[in-house]
Amino acid sequence: MKVHKLFQRMRFGIFALFGLIVLSTSLLCIRTVDTELSAEYAANSESIAKTIADASVDILLNRNLATLQSLIDQFLEVQGIRYIYITDETGEFLAHTFVPGIPEVILESDPFRTEPVERSLPGMGDFLEVSSPILAGVAGTVHLGMDLDLVALKIQRAIGQQVYLISILLVVGILASIWLVNLVARPLAALLAYAVETARRPPEERALVVADEKLLERDDEVGQLARLILYMSRTRPPSDPEALPDPGAARSAA
Amino acid sequence: MHSSCAAALLAPWARLANAALAAGDGVSSGAGSAAAPGRQAPNRGAAGDGIVLGTSAAFTGPSRGLGNELYRGAMAYFRQINDSGGINGRQITLKLYDDGYQPDPCVQNTLKLMLEDQVFLLFGYVGTPTVTRVLPMLKKFQEEQIYMFFPFTGAQPQREPPYGDFAFNLRASYRQETAGLVENFLATGRRRIAVFYQADAYGRSGWAGVRAALENHGETIAGEATYQRGSRFTGTMRAQVEILQRAAPDAVICVGAYAACAAFARDAIDLGLRVPIANLSFVGSENLVNLLSEGRDDPETYTRWLVNSQVVPSYEDESVPAVREYRELMARHNPQIPEQFLDDPYSPLPQSFVSLEGFVNAKLMCEIFRRFDGAPVRAGLEEAVFSIRDFDLGIGEQVSFGPERRQGLQRVYYTVVEDGRFVPLTDWNALPA
Repeated sequence: MKVHKLFQRMRFGIFALFGLIVLSTSLLCIRTVDTELSAEYAANSESIAKTIADASVDILLNRNLATLQSLIDQFLEVQGIRYIYITDETGEFLAHTFVPGIPEVILESDPFRTEPVERSLPGMGDFLEVSSPILAGVAGTVHLGMDLDLVALKIQRAIGQQVYLISILLVVGILASIWLVNLVARPLAALLAYAVETARRPPEERALVVADEKLLERDDEVGQLARLILYMSRTRPPSDPEALPDPGAARSAA
Repeated sequence: MHSSCAAALLAPWARLANAALAAGDGVSSGAGSAAAPGRQAPNRGAAGDGIVLGTSAAFTGPSRGLGNELYRGAMAYFRQINDSGGINGRQITLKLYDDGYQPDPCVQNTLKLMLEDQVFLLFGYVGTPTVTRVLPMLKKFQEEQIYMFFPFTGAQPQREPPYGDFAFNLRASYRQETAGLVENFLATGRRRIAVFYQADAYGRSGWAGVRAALENHGETIAGEATYQRGSRFTGTMRAQVEILQRAAPDAVICVGAYAACAAFARDAIDLGLRVPIANLSFVGSENLVNLLSEGRDDPETYTRWLVNSQVVPSYEDESVPAVREYRELMARHNPQIPEQFLDDPYSPLPQSFVSLEGFVNAKLMCEIFRRFDGAPVRAGLEEAVFSIRDFDLGIGEQVSFGPERRQGLQRVYYTVVEDGRFVPLTDWNALPA
């Protein structure tokens, strides 16, 4: 349909605009969800590490390591936390949750470090380790490993859900735009067909071309054009081309 | 959740639970005054014609042998007492729940026992990770004065503040067991001691005992490896063995349950780690040996490396009066596992260290109840226990309790396997190298 060509640019523009919206929204969403969820997990882990550190003071001072182990075992049930270990003021490991043993990477790390650090433990995965000093560090340090793979999975799932929703909106938007464009294109095509049919006939037969009543009854620009063509087909053309009506006057008449 | 009243002890405990204690009941003169002044603790579970004790233990799962045998040993004595008229005419009933050796079910079971079943006291719990989680509940409900008696664990939390006041222990502690093992190993030149332990409070308790004992001699733990609680014999412990092999230990002390420790011993010997492998009393010695020897051409392939510490004398030693009594009553009553726990098949052992411990636990429990004139009262329990001084349980060691002594027995026994049986270890130098 030649008339559709008229809308190809518009259609491309709509697609491009929707695509841009989806892309930018998705990127913003990914960045926001990634940043926010990562920060939330890290903040939760730091809170838990601090809670353990605060709860450990008396237990450590009493050297009650079984209770200390029981305490960290309970926190290990929190989703995302894969390991916890507690070192004393000399750096000795007093309690931990590693099976079958403390990984070399951990054994060789600085037990007094309290800044978050990303670790890759062979056979276990990638972790964000957060730490909290016990009694300002003079009684030891709690270290807690948050499973980055699990966090990444959670983030991916959250992003996936958002992108899924945006994609549905994109498809609905595109289908709606196609429908709307077609809505405009269809009467234009009818008008074009009418105009072509009229043009094909000799001037004296043009008045015989039957226009679609619906086309002539439209109260929009297409209807006005159809009625203009009908008027022109029924008006005998002047022998002197100079006598043709001024196009500006025709636009006014339309 | 499984629950049961012991079949032969069908006192109508529901009625008992709702019965009120007669106000004038108290302890005998031997126990001093009955209740502490000003303490009006409720006394449910011990009135009328019965005393209801509450138990949460491992009756199913990989450690079910421990809960089952401890229960069977206790029941052998309780049945005998009930058959002969009970304590001051009162029958003793056990209200049982299975926790599978897992802390969370144990906490739920304990809440039921205390709040719904309203048992008189808690008796015969199994395990450190379970008991350590229950102790804070006893403190929370301290106004109810519910005590825990004779848990099957040698860990420190129920022996020390802040929870020591809510429990009474009979057996020696893991600290004592590990100290004895370490000192004997060091005395025979085995200075590099490694630890294989359960990754929980029990394992940590044993680990801490080994660490402290070594520290006293200027030594440190040579190597350590852990396993997940609930591991089965069919699983592999090769990773743990490889970790310990790198430490080149002279001996390994295992702090675990029988299934995992048997798997470790098997893999250690198979991989060439041929050093004495010591186990604590909690392990469940007979089940350990059965797993390691059953169906093998040479049943001592693995068991010859075992050294097990025990907190009761050998059940084979009939020169011990309590052992004779235990063997006789086990044979007479042959207590069975309640049916609701038999979904997980289990073959009871004729005798075992665990059931002997359950037996002496029950024997001392009954002695404590005897210290009351009428119905035992919670408020008088502590003083009744403290009235036990130099009491002869018949195991060759006097039992004493007091405000500063909440553990009755102190002795640790060391055994090795010969002809499939545990016999006393008399010469530490004779251990295989």
